Amino acid sequence: MSGDSQRKAGSTPETEVIDEPQTSSPGLWPRAMRFLGFDIAESRYAYGEDPRFGYISESRIADTWTRTTCGYCSVGCGMLVGTRNGKAVAARGNPDHPVNRGKLCPKGLSEHHIPGAPGRATTPLLRKAGRGTPLVPVSWDEALDAMLRNIGDLQAEHGQDTLGVIGTGQLLTEEFYTLGKLVQLGFRSPNYDGNTTLCMASAVSGYKLSFGSDGPPGAYADMETADVVLLIGSNIADNHPILCNRLNRQTDQMLIVADPRVTKTAMMADLHLPVKPRSDIALLNGIAHILLRDGLVDHDYIAAHTEGIDAFVAFVADFTPESVSETTGLPVDTLERVARLYGEAKAAMIAWTMGVNHSTQGAVTVAAINNLALITGNIGKAGASPFSITGQCNAMGTRESGFTSSMPGYRKFDNPTDRSELSALWGISPDLLPKARGLAYPDIIEAAVAGRIKALWFIATNPAVSFPNYGLLQQALTTAKFVVVQDGFFPTPTTEFADLVLPAGIWGEKEGTFTNSERRISKVNAFVKPPGDARADFDIFLGLAEGLGVRETLFPGWTTTHDAWLEWQRVSAGRLCDYLPFTWQLLEEMGGAQWGGERLYTDGIFPRENGRALLHCVPCLPFSEQPDAEYDLVLNTGRTVEHWHTRTKTGAIPMLNNMAPNAWLEMNPVDAERLSLRQHERVTVVSRRNSVLDVELRITGIVAPGHVFMPFHFAEHNSNLVTLGDFDPISREPNFKQCAVHVERSTRA
Amino acid sequence: METGSIDLVRMTLLAGGAAPQLVETLIPTRPLEADEQYRFHFDMTKCIGCRSCEIACNEQNGNPAGITWRRVGELEGGVYPDTQRTYLSMGCNHCLDADCLKGCPVDAYTKDSATGIVLHSADACIGCQYCVWNCPYSVPQFNAERGVVGKCDMCRGRLNEGLEPACVNACPENAIQIEIVNKIAWRENYAEADSPGMPPAGQTVSTTRITLPGNSSSWLQRVDTGTVPLEHAHPSLVAMTTAMQATFGTLTVLVLASALDTVSITLLVLLTAVALTISVFHLGRPAYAWRALKMWRRSWLSREVLCFGLFFLAIGLCAAASWAAQLGFPTARLMVYATAWTGVFFGLCGTLASAYIYLVRARPAWNMVHTPLDFLLSAGLLGCVMTVAMRAPAAALSTWGNRFGLHLRPMPAVQVALPLLVISLCWVLNQAVRTMRMRASLNFEMRASFNLLRGKDLWWVGALALIAVAMTPLFAVAPMPLLATGTAVAAVMLQRYLFFVSVVPLSMGLTFLGNKAGLGRAA
Repeated sequence: MSGDSQRKAGSTPETEVIDEPQTSSPGLWPRAMRFLGFDIAESRYAYGEDPRFGYISESRIADTWTRTTCGYCSVGCGMLVGTRNGKAVAARGNPDHPVNRGKLCPKGLSEHHIPGAPGRATTPLLRKAGRGTPLVPVSWDEALDAMLRNIGDLQAEHGQDTLGVIGTGQLLTEEFYTLGKLVQLGFRSPNYDGNTTLCMASAVSGYKLSFGSDGPPGAYADMETADVVLLIGSNIADNHPILCNRLNRQTDQMLIVADPRVTKTAMMADLHLPVKPRSDIALLNGIAHILLRDGLVDHDYIAAHTEGIDAFVAFVADFTPESVSETTGLPVDTLERVARLYGEAKAAMIAWTMGVNHSTQGAVTVAAINNLALITGNIGKAGASPFSITGQCNAMGTRESGFTSSMPGYRKFDNPTDRSELSALWGISPDLLPKARGLAYPDIIEAAVAGRIKALWFIATNPAVSFPNYGLLQQALTTAKFVVVQDGFFPTPTTEFADLVLPAGIWGEKEGTFTNSERRISKVNAFVKPPGDARADFDIFLGLAEGLGVRETLFPGWTTTHDAWLEWQRVSAGRLCDYLPFTWQLLEEMGGAQWGGERLYTDGIFPRENGRALLHCVPCLPFSEQPDAEYDLVLNTGRTVEHWHTRTKTGAIPMLNNMAPNAWLEMNPVDAERLSLRQHERVTVVSRRNSVLDVELRITGIVAPGHVFMPFHFAEHNSNLVTLGDFDPISREPNFKQCAVHVERSTRA
Repeated sequence: METGSIDLVRMTLLAGGAAPQLVETLIPTRPLEADEQYRFHFDMTKCIGCRSCEIACNEQNGNPAGITWRRVGELEGGVYPDTQRTYLSMGCNHCLDADCLKGCPVDAYTKDSATGIVLHSADACIGCQYCVWNCPYSVPQFNAERGVVGKCDMCRGRLNEGLEPACVNACPENAIQIEIVNKIAWRENYAEADSPGMPPAGQTVSTTRITLPGNSSSWLQRVDTGTVPLEHAHPSLVAMTTAMQATFGTLTVLVLASALDTVSITLLVLLTAVALTISVFHLGRPAYAWRALKMWRRSWLSREVLCFGLFFLAIGLCAAASWAAQLGFPTARLMVYATAWTGVFFGLCGTLASAYIYLVRARPAWNMVHTPLDFLLSAGLLGCVMTVAMRAPAAALSTWGNRFGLHLRPMPAVQVALPLLVISLCWVLNQAVRTMRMRASLNFEMRASFNLLRGKDLWWVGALALIAVAMTPLFAVAPMPLLATGTAVAAVMLQRYLFFVSVVPLSMGLTFLGNKAGLGRAA
């Protein structure tokens, strides 16, 4: 049942192939001229001379170029967006930007089509006559009134924490800062989290475990200068393509990629480690074992800057190459070689992405990575760092300025100094600050199912496609009494469940900052206006604050995101993530700047009480849903370069969508033969929870026997119908990467 | 040497000066010497399959999503975990012996004498798409919005300004470069143009140099072979070829049987006029159909147009002579058979030229002796049945005409039963042998065509054609000439439809999902 409604919900224009649809059909005479061939649309296909970029299609010549930062992933590429007569016509990499040096991936190269793409939300919509009736257009006043009234009534009846808010990594830092204050101090509900919990929460938690604070220690430059780069669960060629040219710049650099799948990135590697799923902790501990055994560690660094070495040495003693070989499936020789390469490197870097984070052991896996860096002193110097490559364009901004898993400026809920400092900055009583973190994303969803959360507000996220175990989410969305979806696009699979839809401005329509994976704060600029009645998220937040009567207390005199920036600068001043040294103008001119300098912890002093980083003993546990006789395959999920997340954006760009118009399931030839399945056949992927119907089968050696893989982008073939609702106990990040399924031939009715 | 992309892109800024050694790596800086031309170099070992080049190309040229002058394909080989995946990125290969250029009936293509770039003029193009059929890489693509073909021109406009092409500029790994090649040396040894996933370079002497990964290239294979889309059905060509073969066949039977009369030749003139009118609507620019005559020295398409034009003229004169004889100019009677025989001659030439259009190396299932045989046998089949079928309407028309004192002779009876039976059998045999040869072929495209023919979308069309042709002699003997004509026309048209949709062109290997959209293909 849920499968059907989900499939219907997928409303992205899959078949749209016209680049710029004609607004009105041409008259008879022009049509006759075209049909007979007198008219070959010469002017539309004419070439001209762009003063800045030279010979190009006339249609891409701009009169104005706006510097900005890409709104897709966290690489944070600098861009120039060209507009002509106020319409975006071209996107270029900014050659002066230090991140991408003029290059862009296919999504960035076509990003100027996004603001004008079909399917934008243009007017507030309210389900006036109640559930089961259509959403009808309403004015902003009516929409905000309805929102405040409904949420207020529910809060009055069930307590303030009955509101759950799910944010995103897509807004501006200034908007995150504003939203955090609005939710925690305006709506006074602590139950606010971002979709970043589906993405980078394990990195955040892992950094906190080892170093005492969030904050990626390294920089992209380390990828160039490291002698050895170890990528774990990180398919940057598909997901962060512009980082790839940082690698292999030195001919003697060794690139090692640990991934159960032969990804595009694995093909770049000098050494691919085809590890068994969730054996990365054993690999890391096993490397530590060999390093300690052979003395390839930095004793001085360990003595001066770490804590817990004795317990750690004792703990990894069990991770002998033989036992690790069994767990990981890698030969002992390979393990010895990798350990030697890492240990003997002058500078070694370990970078990771979702293969590590999307796990019930994500946070501790990050700690295990940090262990290796710490015992070899591969941290805080050029080419040497443990480094998380983040997902969304501004996931970092929400981590730093948001008010979710910590208070703004990486302040801890339970630290009295942090509390008094922050309340003094805001001129409020410390008692008004929540005592502890509210519910995390998956717990908000579970609380909604249990009826403890009655109102849900989703901002710039599409959980109906991105949240694991769709069945539970659907229950939450239908059980909650009032669901608000604030998004730049309508409809999305999530707006199906909305009682109120707030149309928001998106990238290209707002001014502020993003912070990328390497802590680089970059300027984001507007080049067009939001369509129709859509409003920037910032303005929506201020409107709600006004309605709540808190605008002047929380946001005194604020009118633009720059006001939020100025306050956030003061709030972050002196913190690890110190934004004070920068101005918007400076950031724009410099192509961004890294808070904390090029890399963190250069002095070996960590933000823990004793200043030392903690070595953790991390046991390697098998993933929870192991394959069995009935569900005999392990499903892995991931992404492809042509698409972004749930395809609300890239599905609306015909060129990108044509490149990868539908989902597919990768299966090893051994399994395909056993199941008598043929190439391109439509198959159904069944788990204990639900099934995904009619997925195109790709029989390929990319995946190991016993494993299958599918991309999660497609609402029409939603992998999250079958994924497991199992979460990391520390970071609360879902275990997207492994669940047990079986695959059968689809039978069409 | 390695190139830093910062400088690469700075080159695109006209104001900025680029380091000369860098410019030299990505685009040549020295002028071309005699016997030299530009070419692409694609470094497969650097490509990460990001597809930025495809987007950059479309943005550069303002093309809609369905048209991709640069395409990225995927290759795969080996057994997990030693699986190898690599990517192919191709624009036009700017061949030394470009087949697109040779076939063009309007001379829209030129191989630029200065740069060696194969250029296409949208202005000159009439949208016949013969180049699309001829190119072994499926490079030229028909733009339905414009009614003309378009293709990669190596961004000549940018090269002229000393700027790198859009794909070269966009590639984050510097995997695409422009180089200078000595044409004479390359013609002697073009081994570096060959790659897994690419048709053999020798056919047109592709100039693109491909750097392959050292150890794995021999077992890399295309991943797009599991779904082969149907090609365009070209309904106007199905109708035109069928109708032209019918007129030519009927004229031949009538002439051989000395049974030509005024009414039937007039009917044939009308049928030819209809057929030729339909044929121009195959073109993207019907108004410029006349230009197709231009390249008769080189292009089979021009020759077809020329021969059928002369055929039309001959039978038109024949009809005029016949009418003149009727109207009291007996000397004109001499002209009737002279022009009719001329018509038969040009009809034969036209039918063969028509068949030769399809004898292109880039489309193996067409490039068989069975194509001209089919065209000739179809002419015979349709000629036999039409000769009989035309008797009744011809008689009615003569009676009607005689009321006005025209004294038209009724069409004499012609015995066609035996030849019809023989031709029908040969027609079936020709199709059967063609299909069996495709099945047994070692060539991927041939076998893929066979698989399409026997696949769920097409097998019943073939079966219907077979039933129709089997019924034809029976109806003819019955005698139910109109039904016989109906089944013969149906058989030929169904078979011709299959001929168009089931051909699998040579092309570069695309991505696993890549065959679904784009390239202007349609069932």
